[in-house]
Amino acid sequence: MIRYILGRLASIALTFFVVSVIVFLMMHAVPGGPFDGNDMPVSAEVKAKLNANLGLDKPLYVQYLNYMGGVLRLDFGVPFQSPGETVLQLLGRAWPPSLILGGAGVLIGAPLGILLGMAAALNRNSWIDYLASAFATLGLTIPVFVTSMMLILVFAVWLNWLPASGWGKPHSWVLPILAYATIPMATYARYTRSAMLDVLNKPFVTVLRAKGLPERRIIFQHVLRNASLAMVTVFLPMFIGTATGSIFVEAMFRVPGLGAYFVSSIEQRDYPLEMALILIVTLMFCFAYLISDIAYALLNPRIRFGGGEK
Amino acid sequence: MRLVDIKDLTVSFPQTEGLVQAVRGLTLHVAPGESLGIVGESGSGKSVTCMAVLRLLREPPARIAAERLELAGVDMRKADRRQLASMRGSVAAMIFQDPMTAFDPVFTIGHQIAETIRAHRAVSKSEAMAEAEDLLARVRIKAPKAVLQSYPHQLSGGMLQRAMIAMALSSRPQILFADEPTTALDVTIQAQILQLIKEIQAEYGMGLIMVTHDLGVVAETVDRVVVMYGGRVMEEGPVQEIFDAAAHPYTQALLGSIPGRVAGRQRLTEIKGASPNPAHPPSGCPFHPRCPVAEPRCAAEVPALAPFAPARAAACWRVA
Amino acid sequence: MTAPLLAPALELRGIGRTFRLREKGGLFARYTDHVAVRDVDLVLPRNAILGLVGESGSGKTTTGMMALRLLEPTTGRILVDGQDITALDPAALKPFRRRMQVVFQDSYSAIDPMMTLAQVVAEPLHIHGQGSRAGQTEAALAMLERVGLDRRYGSRYAHELSGGQRQRVAIARALILRPQVLVADEPTSALDVSVKAQIINLLMDLQAEMGLSILFISHDLSVVRSLTDRVAVMWNGRVVEEAPTEAIFTDARHPYTRSLLEAIPVLNPRLRRARSFPTRAEIEAQTPRLPAIPGLAAGATPQLVAEGDRRYEAIVGGVVGGIGGAATPEATIP
Repeated sequence: MIRYILGRLASIALTFFVVSVIVFLMMHAVPGGPFDGNDMPVSAEVKAKLNANLGLDKPLYVQYLNYMGGVLRLDFGVPFQSPGETVLQLLGRAWPPSLILGGAGVLIGAPLGILLGMAAALNRNSWIDYLASAFATLGLTIPVFVTSMMLILVFAVWLNWLPASGWGKPHSWVLPILAYATIPMATYARYTRSAMLDVLNKPFVTVLRAKGLPERRIIFQHVLRNASLAMVTVFLPMFIGTATGSIFVEAMFRVPGLGAYFVSSIEQRDYPLEMALILIVTLMFCFAYLISDIAYALLNPRIRFGGGEK
Repeated sequence: MRLVDIKDLTVSFPQTEGLVQAVRGLTLHVAPGESLGIVGESGSGKSVTCMAVLRLLREPPARIAAERLELAGVDMRKADRRQLASMRGSVAAMIFQDPMTAFDPVFTIGHQIAETIRAHRAVSKSEAMAEAEDLLARVRIKAPKAVLQSYPHQLSGGMLQRAMIAMALSSRPQILFADEPTTALDVTIQAQILQLIKEIQAEYGMGLIMVTHDLGVVAETVDRVVVMYGGRVMEEGPVQEIFDAAAHPYTQALLGSIPGRVAGRQRLTEIKGASPNPAHPPSGCPFHPRCPVAEPRCAAEVPALAPFAPARAAACWRVA
Repeated sequence: MTAPLLAPALELRGIGRTFRLREKGGLFARYTDHVAVRDVDLVLPRNAILGLVGESGSGKTTTGMMALRLLEPTTGRILVDGQDITALDPAALKPFRRRMQVVFQDSYSAIDPMMTLAQVVAEPLHIHGQGSRAGQTEAALAMLERVGLDRRYGSRYAHELSGGQRQRVAIARALILRPQVLVADEPTSALDVSVKAQIINLLMDLQAEMGLSILFISHDLSVVRSLTDRVAVMWNGRVVEEAPTEAIFTDARHPYTRSLLEAIPVLNPRLRRARSFPTRAEIEAQTPRLPAIPGLAAGATPQLVAEGDRRYEAIVGGVVGGIGGAATPEATIP
């Protein structure tokens, strides 16, 4: 197991390196630089000077090495769009709202979705199943800004219970989190339903019934344990994916989160911010997959003990 | 007293084509300690019959109707969830076709046998484990302790089938339902498992219903045979008499088409056509489109299963 | 057998296959070698059916796939009509592919569900560029008729057929190129009893009509007895016995062959009896022992020994006398 984890860590380091090179090259391959925008009329000399100050006139590999050297010291540079602070400071300011929004959304949406999926699977082809499936399908097909708008309309405009936008006191968090929670809820409901049904259709479930186990025990001991095998590999990475929040929900509720910077860093060729965002998200995903694979191995005796295969 | 007593059982499933009847008016019974073979091809309704007796089919979609459906005197039509759970595994146990998929892959064999014991009797975990080890030894497993601690994927098909039989025996059932228990196994393992089932049946004095498509399995293991085709019983009788002188044209044709009975390379007697589609069963006798001696009457009317000699019955107009 | 004027339809010489098994361990996995087939010699004569029997893991399917070069052998050679095809590149192999076809157990997954049956059967003609489109379709319909399916089945799809009918389509597709060799891998194992006989009869008829040579791979000894001329028994990746079919059934020499025969259910309830099956170690211990044979190296390892028109594994030399009434074999290595 330890050897396995070490191997995985090595492959994460490799992934991280490859992603950094590719993203670095791609960003520089796109024509134009940070000072080419029409809204920033600067003369050619000033532009050259700015480029020199930021090291943008050096050969690419030097720029890359300089940059990565900084990254290893946790220095991601200074964002072009906000030169008064470092990238880390900007992230420290903008990430918490996104984390709260995404994290709370998942923490509320995921358990509800799992329960919904279980209820649907256990009552296959009944009204509960149809209702839950319809709900999940709606959650996935209705764009989140429509959901947001409806929530604003009902709770802010008509009932006037909660603020329509902003990110101040915790009560202003309620609507964005609710709007966001519909996505993980719908996704988790669908996965849970199909994972459970998959196990329920296995022959061993019939055997469990034939030997007289109570249905409750069959579901909670056997079916859930097996379904969790399929679920764990999907759920953890999904969890991480949501930790960066939602661009749309943030826009709808004017939440000062990371979402806006994802877009603007690309639009405005803000290399340091763009690189930092991509590298951090990459790393988070790598570790999420590592953790979910370890969890899978711990749950699955076939991997834990090996052997048996031909 | 009858251990299994079924009268006029019909099992149907709603499908897009309409209500499909997998079993159509089946009547059979098993006495305590008796072994009955149910022989049939795929779609004959033989497995569905077993599942219906133990109420293991999902209802709905399945629909079960019967004049009588009794297991050890209990009316299985009216049994509730609780009653069913207490009957299954204790009064009646069942073993299945593919031992490789019959165990939950994430628990050890010992755990799965012990949980069966504990589902029916109040014993401690360690007592149940000790009993499980004992049961594995009784099905002639040489290293029961190792098997006890193994996960299903670590064992061979033959070993798993032995473990499944051990699990079935854990509450000393009065009857064992065996649904194609050797079909998924290698030939030499098949013969060993059949032999084990026979020995265990005698040792425990239990009834046995052996469901199979293989007449060889029947010839080796049971006292009495029910031949099914298209959801109906075609013929019934003591095994020796059926093999000596089958009465129904289907049974005769089936016996005649078995390969390897005589020396030398030669053509076999074949049965023309294919098994009936349960969604569109033929009128009259289900076998009449393939029957070499069919008469006009066979297509018009369903022959009833009628006794024609002591302990024997056939559903054929030509036999009555 | 008298010396054939023509080379056998198919010949395997010392063929073997080793699989590398990956053991769990992430990035730094370990590998172990598993010998699936070891040093197999087989001759499929022209116009004959050779049965290849054994249990799962015996290597019979691996051998069949190597004969078709659908799986590359690790050792040994494959000869078709006396020509060595072991090392041919795909282009040079193509004409031989036409002459060797295969039918599998699971015809459902082997037939494209989106194609009509006429298209399915005509496809090999199309691939090998034989005839016009219309000619190909006509040939396919004629072939469907020949395997016992009416021409109107040509416009149907696989899901409309029963298991036996699908197996007929698979056979039609395999035979449309008029191959010399057909490898049939458990073609009747998934079929109902009442349909099995139809397919066995069909194979027997087509073999005779077309002068086919069939390598019939099966675990079902009853089917093998009705259909084949000769039988080779595989065990643990080796051929342990090979003989004319009736000789196998009435006078088996190798203990493994005998245990396979012991496992066949007797279709007479009066003849029920308790049976015993030897373990692997017991089979090894019961391997026939033969006195020293001139020209054969003596040794403790079993080797294939020829005796008349049969071969079986035996331990040669050292111990005097045989087990199972083995006659003095001729001193030849096949």
